[in-house]
Amino acid sequence: MDVISGLWQGFAVALAPVNLMWCFVGVFLGTVVGILPGLGPAATIAMLLPLTYRMDPSGAIIMLAGIYYGAKYGGSTTAILLNVPGESASVVTCLDGYQMARKGRAGAALGIAAIASFVAGTAGVLGLMLIAPPIAKFALSFSSPEYFALMALGLALVSLLAGHSYLKALLAMLVGLWIASMGTDLFSSTSRFTFGQMQLLDGIEFVVVAIGIFAIGEVLATVESPGDAQTLPVPKGLRNLLPTVQDLKDCRFAFANGSIVGFLIGVLPGAGSTIASFISYGIEKAVSKHPEKFGTGVVEGVAAPEGANNAETGGALVPLLTLGIPGSGTTAILLAALVLWGFKPGPLLIADNPSLFWGLVASMYVGNVMLLVLNLPLVPLFAQILRLPPFVLMPGILGVCLVGVLSAGGGLFDAGLLVLFGVLGYAMRKLDYPTAPLVLGVVLGDSMERALRQSLMMSQGELSILVSRPISAVMLCLAAVILFLPVIKRFNRWRTQAIDTSGDA
Amino acid sequence: MTIRNLWPAAALALAVLTPPTPAAFAQGFKPTRPVELVVHTGPGGGSDVLARAMVQMIEKEKLAPVRFVVVNRPGGNGTVAAAYLAEKKGETHSLGLFTGNWMTNPLVSAEAKVSLKDLTPIVRLVLEPAVIAVKADSPYKTMGDFIEAAKKNPGKLKQSGGSITSRDNVVRQLLQKSTGAQWAFISFPGGGERIAALLGGHVEMMVIEPQEAGEQIRAGNMRVLAQATEKRLPSLPNVPTLKEAGFDVPIVPQVRGVVAPPGIPAQNVAYWEDLFARLVKTPTWQKYLEDNQFEEGFQKSADLSKFFDTFSARMRTLLQEAGVKVYR
Repeated sequence: MDVISGLWQGFAVALAPVNLMWCFVGVFLGTVVGILPGLGPAATIAMLLPLTYRMDPSGAIIMLAGIYYGAKYGGSTTAILLNVPGESASVVTCLDGYQMARKGRAGAALGIAAIASFVAGTAGVLGLMLIAPPIAKFALSFSSPEYFALMALGLALVSLLAGHSYLKALLAMLVGLWIASMGTDLFSSTSRFTFGQMQLLDGIEFVVVAIGIFAIGEVLATVESPGDAQTLPVPKGLRNLLPTVQDLKDCRFAFANGSIVGFLIGVLPGAGSTIASFISYGIEKAVSKHPEKFGTGVVEGVAAPEGANNAETGGALVPLLTLGIPGSGTTAILLAALVLWGFKPGPLLIADNPSLFWGLVASMYVGNVMLLVLNLPLVPLFAQILRLPPFVLMPGILGVCLVGVLSAGGGLFDAGLLVLFGVLGYAMRKLDYPTAPLVLGVVLGDSMERALRQSLMMSQGELSILVSRPISAVMLCLAAVILFLPVIKRFNRWRTQAIDTSGDA
Repeated sequence: MTIRNLWPAAALALAVLTPPTPAAFAQGFKPTRPVELVVHTGPGGGSDVLARAMVQMIEKEKLAPVRFVVVNRPGGNGTVAAAYLAEKKGETHSLGLFTGNWMTNPLVSAEAKVSLKDLTPIVRLVLEPAVIAVKADSPYKTMGDFIEAAKKNPGKLKQSGGSITSRDNVVRQLLQKSTGAQWAFISFPGGGERIAALLGGHVEMMVIEPQEAGEQIRAGNMRVLAQATEKRLPSLPNVPTLKEAGFDVPIVPQVRGVVAPPGIPAQNVAYWEDLFARLVKTPTWQKYLEDNQFEEGFQKSADLSKFFDTFSARMRTLLQEAGVKVYR
């Protein structure tokens, strides 16, 4: 019915040569800014906005959206190769992606990231096309208690990230939560832990923490023991640089998981792609037959979060296009762009401008294909970077980190923070503290605290609001089960052991 | 003593300290290299979008002999950008696009070292009006309905908004004070989340900009109870202003305009005043205001300086009444 004719109309717009060109320009620029850490799609789109003023709006939105979803493809590159998360959504990709690279499987990791991005990105567009209006209504039923429960679930899932010591993981997470609490409190305008520094009024940029702890910490640890710092193995031959059929088979569930989780979380105005990537990774680990291998370089650990952060794009466009509600920084700029071109973003946007909407949807199918074709051949090329000897590679990584932090707009103060977190990351490695829980604490801390306080303000202080609403009750129960599962397992083991020994006596 | 009184002195000091440029003395100030326009948001924030649109218009209408470049100095909701400009004392090729936040934040933040009063006022440009909206199926048909309901159940009704120092909360404080009603204020960082909370039925009311509300009203999702404006907006001819609805509270507009670093010569102020006076007369600017449903708020330097004083004083009282710790 409508979908078929709409899509027909859309492809007529998207396949017009000039729009194909804009689509390519968009996804190409997106890939580039995705690869460069620091400069994100939001800043890029804002800077290009004045140039689009005289463009045909269809071409312009096709290009800007291309930057948006294209950046998600590129984000994994530095995460996998250098342990430098290009943007916050690729932090989880570092966990298994970088370990794969260390084992000589960088090409496979990059390849699977591109394929997962393609599959889930396309699934996200399908969702946007088929179920946008009903899913937008569902998103509105989410409020602060549900967001709190969602984050609690995320935290519980990823508490599974804990290494050998549960206690050390918990401690690292608490430090992360503390870092997240720095800055001006939204509710009271009081500043917390700013140490009198004006630059800390907005808190610490998440990317600074992640890059410092992951990348700089790793560089320091490598430099310290030059014996281990041999060139990472990079297999010869194109075939060995791409994912194998077995990899693809292993990732079947991860593709579906990433697509669905990414899209659904993307639709929620208060969540975002970072949370989507963490939760899909957590789910992947929870249902895996070999959860203990996560973090040592399993291919699903790359596919799930990379898929999720691409499906999120399709999801995030749902509230923007069907309700006029931007859920993230990037969609807020797309909203400003629509106003600039003379549209009225809101619930009637699609009905008033069907060719704009369908042209965009069709262009996203085209763009995802372009991105796959653009990114796969780059994989063997990028994998060669690891052939560089450490005395070239390590300073190079430091340079990339510094450029990333500076281009994110923080200036020298953030560069100083980067050093601080680098040293912290190094110390944590030496003392065998897991780093991922700290970074997760920083990601979730702020929004989780906010959601809890909003909920309590809504209920005038009654904690029951968190469990009296069905969606949040279900999610909180799940979180509790996941958290206590290891404890119950351990108790069970201890009990059977006790029975065995008493039987012997 | 206001900053304005310092200008002649500063101009004199500059004339003594810097080698005189003949052109400057012959025909007043004219920018000779790109001018930076500092905004306090990252790319895509409200001020950033306005700044980029202004740069576009200045170029299109050929109002200046040089280019304007938008410079983002985000942080502390304006605190960092204000400090950046204050450090550029005497710099003639820097301007900043301020909002009311630049005045409110130094009041409530101990870390802020600079307020708008430390910078050189140039012009006020726009006033952003606000309206009070409820969900379309809400039982409250008028502002009076809402206030009555809030009086019957103190603290039960909820409003979604920004931070406690935002205009949303100021409107609430003023209404609560004049009526004795009480309702909760729930902060959300993003505009999208505030609207989602209202449309999802999680809060009962919000203060929203008419441009944001316009499409929700047209789609039948939202209803406007009253306008927090001096006179009715052209787009909402049938909705009463707060005063007409029987609530005579002062109107606190969201304001945007241009400031310069401290200590720039009076002739520079005159040049910038004139440039922006010409900008606001162009049809492009008028259309931009109309598209975004902003109100014309043009004021020259002298009036703007007075506006800063009254605005600051009023905000200080309001924030203290709201229980926010005020530092200066």
